[in-house]
Amino acid sequence: MTAGEMLDFKPSRGYSVGVELELQILNSRDYNLARDAADLLELLKKAAHPGEVKPEITESMIELNSSIHYRHETLLEELRGIRDALADAAGRLNLRIAGGGSHPFHAWTDRRIYPTERFKHILEVYGYLAKQFTIFGQHVHIGCPDGDAALYLVHALARYVPHFIALSASSPFQQGEDTSYHSSRLNTVSAFPLSGHAPFVQSWDEFRSYFEKMKGFGIVASMKDFYWDIRPKPEYGTVEIRVFDTPLTVERAAMLAAYAQALARHLLIDRPRPPSRDVYLVHSHNRFQACRYGLDGTLVDAHTHRHLAIHEDVLDTLKIIATHAAEVGADEPLQQLAAEVMERREDATWLREQYRTHGSLNDVARLQSELWMGSALASA
Amino acid sequence: MSGFEFLPPFPPPANAMLLFGLLLLAGFAGGELAKRLRLPRITGYVLAGLALGASGLRLVDTTLASEARMFVNLGLGIILFELGRRLDFAWLWRDRWLAATAVAESALSFVFVYGALAYFGVKPLHAAIAAAIGIATSPAVVLLVAQELRAEGQVTERALNLVAINSVAAFVLATTMLSWLHMEHRAGGLTIVLHPAWLIGASLLLGYLASGFAILLARWVGKREERQLVMLLAVIVLAVGCAAALNLSVMLSLLAFGVGSRNLDRNRHIMQVNIGQLGQIFFVVLFVVTGATLEVTSLIAGGSIALVYVAARFIGKAIGVLSLAHFSGIRAGAGGLLCLTLTPMSSFAIEMTHGTAQLYPEFAATLAPMVLSAVLIMELIGPLAVQFALRRAGEAQEEVR
Repeated sequence: MTAGEMLDFKPSRGYSVGVELELQILNSRDYNLARDAADLLELLKKAAHPGEVKPEITESMIELNSSIHYRHETLLEELRGIRDALADAAGRLNLRIAGGGSHPFHAWTDRRIYPTERFKHILEVYGYLAKQFTIFGQHVHIGCPDGDAALYLVHALARYVPHFIALSASSPFQQGEDTSYHSSRLNTVSAFPLSGHAPFVQSWDEFRSYFEKMKGFGIVASMKDFYWDIRPKPEYGTVEIRVFDTPLTVERAAMLAAYAQALARHLLIDRPRPPSRDVYLVHSHNRFQACRYGLDGTLVDAHTHRHLAIHEDVLDTLKIIATHAAEVGADEPLQQLAAEVMERREDATWLREQYRTHGSLNDVARLQSELWMGSALASA
Repeated sequence: MSGFEFLPPFPPPANAMLLFGLLLLAGFAGGELAKRLRLPRITGYVLAGLALGASGLRLVDTTLASEARMFVNLGLGIILFELGRRLDFAWLWRDRWLAATAVAESALSFVFVYGALAYFGVKPLHAAIAAAIGIATSPAVVLLVAQELRAEGQVTERALNLVAINSVAAFVLATTMLSWLHMEHRAGGLTIVLHPAWLIGASLLLGYLASGFAILLARWVGKREERQLVMLLAVIVLAVGCAAALNLSVMLSLLAFGVGSRNLDRNRHIMQVNIGQLGQIFFVVLFVVTGATLEVTSLIAGGSIALVYVAARFIGKAIGVLSLAHFSGIRAGAGGLLCLTLTPMSSFAIEMTHGTAQLYPEFAATLAPMVLSAVLIMELIGPLAVQFALRRAGEAQEEVR
């Protein structure tokens, strides 16, 4: 594939959604990260299962991919199917699988890079950051009809980045410490030189010339080298939202995907606001607020200059997108999401509660894995 | 007299602490030398023991070795406790092929050793006892090499579970055989039943009580790692002491303690603490003493039949593991490495042999040279085999220089 073809935007129809989840592989002894990704992948090859399971940057991680979906219920069903297959295989290897944006107490110095060319290259380029990159995110892909629409969506969604962060935040602990953040994971991402946000270009042709320029500088080789919060993914014909921490359950992962899907549908169809460069002026501030305080943070609306509590803004948005939610079969999960926002049921808070009750981070990691594997662990 | 009575006699009388220091230092030096040659430290400890002991300078004789018994038992106690905590029944239930592998490799190593020895004219009873002893893999060697390499992964975890199971199988079978021996020597009808029943039942009960006690104490101190470390060590020492006082098996008691402390602790009061770190000094003494008690001369007496013994044992274990490796959730090629990790022979073999020797000197004369030379061979090869297997499996951490 030539560089030109690589940047051809493959159209997608119908506001489709797809989910990638990066997951933690734990041992069942002290619930530290294990290094068994290769064995787990090999065992999964032996049995048929929905979706796809792939290696990630270190041997303690695994990535689960859904196929393309149009409605919430089919996505949820598929994610549950992959979860059960993964939980069953992990059980046979005496491993545990957990959600959550970070492992609460692993030491990054213990991590080993999964031996593929790309991952070895990343280690060479980024040094210790590659091992610290043992953090776990959910990526949600939204199908777009063309490149221009994708860029509109990238900039329009930027306003909602604090929502995505606050709703998914599940990395309060890192390296054995309470970070005081709801999502500490994104601080790790920020260390990478190509993190941040996409340039404010509005047509696919402009984007293509931006990319060619960066490539000409020798800074990037492919779209994969940009670690942006939201990036277009031309070969899939999608916009990829990358700021979610991996939630503690696949049910919540599907719920957040439904939120992103309904919101994207609203933005693409209703086009409520013209794209504005100003979103990126408030971007870092808003992102920090969401990481630090979760739903209790505040965000600055670049269009109205108002300061809004994130949880109130989420609830308002849920009302605005209600008709679109119905279109993608996400009525019920988004009503549930609204209820959880009102009660402030956040994954980060749940993790802190477990720590308070049980007194050790090993217990937190254990409960995290029991929650994710659910009944599949008991019956495996 | 001469007015120099205040001077100590020459040579000064040895005491336990002096001995402990000497063994520790010799082992330490041996371990460091071994490390420089990229050998496991354990090999260095054993070689230091050989040099100091019956086969070398004779600085450590049987009296000194029995004085070091306390340290040796503590080392073993800690290792078996840790091993017991790794034995995971829930896993054996989920991967029943692993459970089947455990049964198969234990049974086949017994059958092959018994068959081979009987073929070469060893008396059936002797062959059976030797075969039962051979079922066991050394928990100390496998656990310590794994810890030294900071190994983690399927081969390591499976090896440790298999070792725990085959150690128990060997103990139960060998103890039963001993009662058979009682029958041959007409020791009286009741002892035949009571001796093994006492050993096995009471050892398990001791382990059970120790774990209940430790769980209560852990609940009391709460989730504080350094406190729990001291508490667990205290209960381990106490349990080893009780086992010795009641003539029970340190091995079975402490293994049961480890298993119970994990499986009975429903609310997870006991933290996963690193007792191995604290136990290092005892482990050094354990292997130095093992080396010191082994006699190279026994190789001459037991030589060729010992080789048969070692080979038959390996073949039995290998067939047991390899025939089921495909069904178990293990990747291709890892089965062979798993076989290698099961080769080290247990120092429990030495204990069993000496124990039998005390009871029946006549019997010991035929059995001892064979088993002890097999142990000697495996003390030297075993740690290397385990190290090779874990490194080759890619489960050792990159070594810190």
